[in-house]
Amino acid sequence: MAEQAPAITLERVCKSFGPNRVLHEVSLVLPAGKILVMLGPSGTGKSVLLRCLVGLMKPDSGRIFIEGEDITALDERRSADRDKLFALRRKFGMLFQDGALFDDMCVGDNVAFPLRQHEKMSETEIAQRVKEYLDAVGLKDVQRKMPAELSGGMRKRVAFARAIALQPRIVLCDEPSSGLDPVMSATLDDLILDLHRRYNMTFVVISHDTAEARTIASHIGLLYKGVLQTFGTKEQVLRSNGEAINQFFDRSTKGPIQVL
Amino acid sequence: MEFLHFVRRALVAQFSGLPPRDEFVRHALDAGVGSLPLLTLLTIFAGMNLSVQAYGTFVRFGGQDLLGLFCGVGGIRELYPVMAAVICGARIGATLAASLANMQISEQVEALEVMAVDPMRHLVAPRLWAVTLMLPLLCGYADVVGLAASYWAAVDQMGVNGGTFMEQVRDIVHLEDLAAGVFKGVVFGWLVALVSCYHGYRALKRDGAEGVGVATNRAIVHSAVLCIVLNMFLSALLYVR
Repeated sequence: MAEQAPAITLERVCKSFGPNRVLHEVSLVLPAGKILVMLGPSGTGKSVLLRCLVGLMKPDSGRIFIEGEDITALDERRSADRDKLFALRRKFGMLFQDGALFDDMCVGDNVAFPLRQHEKMSETEIAQRVKEYLDAVGLKDVQRKMPAELSGGMRKRVAFARAIALQPRIVLCDEPSSGLDPVMSATLDDLILDLHRRYNMTFVVISHDTAEARTIASHIGLLYKGVLQTFGTKEQVLRSNGEAINQFFDRSTKGPIQVL
Repeated sequence: MEFLHFVRRALVAQFSGLPPRDEFVRHALDAGVGSLPLLTLLTIFAGMNLSVQAYGTFVRFGGQDLLGLFCGVGGIRELYPVMAAVICGARIGATLAASLANMQISEQVEALEVMAVDPMRHLVAPRLWAVTLMLPLLCGYADVVGLAASYWAAVDQMGVNGGTFMEQVRDIVHLEDLAAGVFKGVVFGWLVALVSCYHGYRALKRDGAEGVGVATNRAIVHSAVLCIVLNMFLSALLYVR
């Protein structure tokens, strides 16, 4: 049997905005069905990395393979490449930092949107699926509400339900626990673990939360000043005794990671 | 270059299939029905003003019976299509630009991209179709309301003979003039929607709320300027033989 391609492979990925170097020669291989928690201080390029993975941004150099397909080789301006890019994106679900819910649609329509776009399902089936996912993220009786009527945490949970609605192979989460209370944050962690077990989804979670990394990660990376300081399985990284990772997990101000 | 690239993508999106129905209907209703109160009010006053201005001048040489001629030429050929384009264009353009810019800065457009939904097809194409189809209807509506207002002011208020007024309108305004107004409406509608979508679409997340304001402002100003300038060229093309 042919070996399954890694879910995500990065080869020396660089990205700058003017003189500001955001990613510098980032390389990693994430096997399929794993949960990577990418840690790092704010403004170190974690969200840019996520956008490069899904083709929303193009690296200046280096390559990114999604299940063996080179997403960086696709030029969005060419229609044939755009079709391939969209086919690749069907493998992804993404939870944006602020939810990015469509504010002219109610909660139910937001979660139903990807299903209506890509699945041949009856409205009854869609309603059932929407209810199932909203229940899973702990939201009841909110289907007719508009995003503006929800709290930040509720919006994030709706966005998570939308991100997993199509049961994608890879789910990208940009700081899923920010703005959530500890109980809801733990609930979301449980949900990620449950989806991972049930559907063998691959997760890339951007986070500052070391507790979350300990709970859900199979792999941990630490990004600082655009450089991948450390990457490996959770056990490897926690055993590595690296200065940067220790500083991050110890919540210390002393170490290579500086605020300014 | 950026604008030309946007125009190319917009054209491909607009003509590569039917736009999403719900989005189209929503924008068509907003552009069309939503513009009626403002357009009605302003066209009534503009129509009456046309009669008042013309009467004041024509009466000096006993030419008040030519009011129908003036209101037909000035109103139906020129004033009402441009009024509909500028007034509705400002209103519609502001809505389009603000909504798209807001979607950009709150990452909703990126969310569509990640869901493998083309934002040009989903967001821009229905807006282009809606405004392109609604603005000519609004131009036609403005013609009727404006002419009725001119008639009322001339006939009921200033004592011009109603039969003469309408006879002169019929003499000067032909079917091709109405068609020209509709044609102008199509051109203005497409242009207003395109320019407004462009400014809304190019807003950046880092621009924040200010970016929405800038996009809206540019959409209104550029739409109005383009419509008025283009109107002169279209009129020259349509009426100068």
